[in-house]
Amino acid sequence: MEQSYKIALAGNPNSGKTTLYNRLTGSNQFVGNWPGVTVEKKEGTLKRHTDTVVVDLPGVYSLSPYTPEEVVARNFLVGERPDAILNIVDGTNLERNLYLTTQLMELGIPVVVAINMMDAVEKSGDKLDTKLLGEKLGCPVVEISALKGKGVAEAADAAWNAAKEGKTVPPLLLQARIEEVLNQIEETALAGIPAAEKRWYAVKLFERDEQVRAMGGFSPEVLARVERLIQEMEEAFDDDAESIISSERYDGIGRLLADCYRKTRTGKLSVSDKIDRVVTNRWLGLPIFALVMFLVYFLSMVTVGQVATDFVNDGLFGDGWHLFGIGSNAYEEAQEEYSYASAVLDGYETYIEENGSAPAESFLYAVEDEETLAVTYETATLQDYEEALAILARYEEEPDPAAYGVWVPGIPALVGRGLEAANAAPWLSGLLCDGVIAGVGAVLGFVPQMFVLFLLLAILEACGYMSRIAFILDRVFRKFGLSGKSFIPMLIGVGCGVPGIMASRTIENDRDRRMTVMTTTFIPCGAKVPFIAMIAGAVFGGSPWVATSAYFIGMAAVVVSGILLKKTKMFAGEPAPFVMELPAYRMPGVVNTLRSMWERGWSFIKKAGTIILLSTVVVWFFTYFGVVDDSFRMLEESELDSSLLAAVGSIFAWIFKPLGWGTWQAAVASLTGLVAKENIVGTMGILYGATGDVYGALGAAFNGVTGFSFLVFNLLCAPCFAAIGAIKREMNSPKWTWFAIGYQCAFAYTIALMINQFGRIFIGGIQPVGLVAAVALFGGLLYLLLRPHKKVRVPKEKEQVTEG
Amino acid sequence: MPLILANIGEENVIRKVGGNPETKKHLENLGFVVGGRVTVISALGGNLIVGVKESRIAISREMAGKIMV
Repeated sequence: MEQSYKIALAGNPNSGKTTLYNRLTGSNQFVGNWPGVTVEKKEGTLKRHTDTVVVDLPGVYSLSPYTPEEVVARNFLVGERPDAILNIVDGTNLERNLYLTTQLMELGIPVVVAINMMDAVEKSGDKLDTKLLGEKLGCPVVEISALKGKGVAEAADAAWNAAKEGKTVPPLLLQARIEEVLNQIEETALAGIPAAEKRWYAVKLFERDEQVRAMGGFSPEVLARVERLIQEMEEAFDDDAESIISSERYDGIGRLLADCYRKTRTGKLSVSDKIDRVVTNRWLGLPIFALVMFLVYFLSMVTVGQVATDFVNDGLFGDGWHLFGIGSNAYEEAQEEYSYASAVLDGYETYIEENGSAPAESFLYAVEDEETLAVTYETATLQDYEEALAILARYEEEPDPAAYGVWVPGIPALVGRGLEAANAAPWLSGLLCDGVIAGVGAVLGFVPQMFVLFLLLAILEACGYMSRIAFILDRVFRKFGLSGKSFIPMLIGVGCGVPGIMASRTIENDRDRRMTVMTTTFIPCGAKVPFIAMIAGAVFGGSPWVATSAYFIGMAAVVVSGILLKKTKMFAGEPAPFVMELPAYRMPGVVNTLRSMWERGWSFIKKAGTIILLSTVVVWFFTYFGVVDDSFRMLEESELDSSLLAAVGSIFAWIFKPLGWGTWQAAVASLTGLVAKENIVGTMGILYGATGDVYGALGAAFNGVTGFSFLVFNLLCAPCFAAIGAIKREMNSPKWTWFAIGYQCAFAYTIALMINQFGRIFIGGIQPVGLVAAVALFGGLLYLLLRPHKKVRVPKEKEQVTEG
Repeated sequence: MPLILANIGEENVIRKVGGNPETKKHLENLGFVVGGRVTVISALGGNLIVGVKESRIAISREMAGKIMV
């Protein structure tokens, strides 16, 4: 290879850069109809010329250093100076796109302009003479359609040729007066700069660009002379230097296009505008939005997603499933009949045990709810008992699902059978079945739901509605320090926090995104529901307001945190001005939509295979191993209170004393909740299940106040590992990840402490130290909520005064 | 008058772009330049969707107040 070239791909956001990049390099980057999909630059090899590297830069409107994207793009172009720039220009929005082109042409790097979406331009009846445009610009101009792949080869060849020849482009000339000043700046200040780059530095000095001024090499006298030139111009134009240049650029583009571009359609509303008239209408906007959200939630969480998730949980990672449902109903009927009969039989025997004689006419039997472990009692007569005996005699043993229809065993059953056949050691089968498969399976169970959800979100994103949601909700969410775009993560968070957190990626403002990531898991997710139901049933006699209050507490936590965090130094700052380009509505492409769904879904699956796998193994080990009778060994289910986990729990338990539930069992349950929140129910079932009546034991261990404190702490504290992994990925910084987890735990602890301590005032047993701490924290919280915003607002107000 | 007071669907010419330098530059980069044309497409709670050049841009009430037409 004699010479290798570097070509930068630059253009406005949403102009089709990433699509062109995929075409040029044959890679599979995700593309969204959403400005800001490419935040970092990406590199790939040009397919047609393997000696050439293509760098996909984030979409920018200009080369001013105001947004992170602009800084990345500008630093690369100025610092690394690629051999050529392939500038992709949206043909349906020429003026605004050529504004960036005029700046790229000043860098002294060969530029090739690729006019994208030419098919759409032609369809609208507009006429663009690209040949003439090329002559006027002084650089090659090619027509392409990145989506259909038309003209991409020509664009690649043109860029490669430009890189090889290294011929730079003459800059777009501005008004004579300004050209004169720019020349003077070049002469006074830029003697040491290569000729081709002079123009760029001259314009930037004229704009008083901080980065260029700080570059060094300019003596104070030189800068003062430049400043005088700028001020002369500012007086002559009655405008600031930056604005003079922007206006001049747009004027120049207008002159350029006057000859080669004919617009047929003027002032008329496009289809997209007509949709916006309805969708963002001040009366219809919110109802339409609510309907769309309901459909998304309904489809992904309730119908399609739920069915698929149930299949994965109970079938694939459960006992197994009936192929195409053949035999399912027959089996379920048999199973129901059998368990009813055995429950009645058990009740009969219990009666004899307790009373020493057979019941005269009726007795009670227990029915346990599978999900929440709630036990209710029903009355049975002697006749029921006779029938039950007959049923049991008919079945001989518990109905086996495999005996009905076409049965496909689940993974645990298959693995278990395989391990049995291989005579595996008990610890190995325990590790694989109770640890790995149970843990990872529980997480993978959410995959179908997530795929459905990601598919719907990808469609919303690709068609352009997602950016309208931000617009519609912005005013509401602004009030408590969140962006309009924070709604989607919270909504998804009701189903599962992991996709919720991941959905926050569509928020491009750093502060808003971090805030959303930190608060999304306050909303009770699906996995917390069984646990909420358990506490409600065991401690509060099944009161429905417990579950309802959980959702309100979650929402209140989001609002309070939003207001509170916005006032801290980390989140303070001028509120990001809400300006965003809204892409035109269009039909989502099938391939691109599926790719988006797959990319997001796959990253979740990968996580299940790494961090979650590891953590389940660790927790399994701590749960099933321990010291019994002075020997360290694997434990039976009944010996779990000797486990290492119990030992760890005892170490931690004191921390939760002020919250009212400082027992190792409750501490351990909270710990296992970190693996998956459903675990809390399972762990409590084992730890409080020694007497056979979990609910009774729980009711004795907790009173209303401590029970609610326990509930609230586990609702608001650090989420499960899967969600923590998602937080880490979205924050992309260990510092922020720890801050988020720390904040959530501290917030949960504070609220739970206040519930317990204030609650004690009413039920008795006041803890003086704890109460003082709770009052202090309450006061602190109120102060944080009510204090004024940080001083950053001051300069803004000052500027408004001078303006008025 | 500020852009927030403009009628929906009416084309206006931009007379002045205010705000701090950063905001102003950002608006100018997006095509809000003096002499340029701007049309309000839709308004919701003070936030606007406007057509400028050929693109559609959503801006908050605060920013729309800084654009004079």
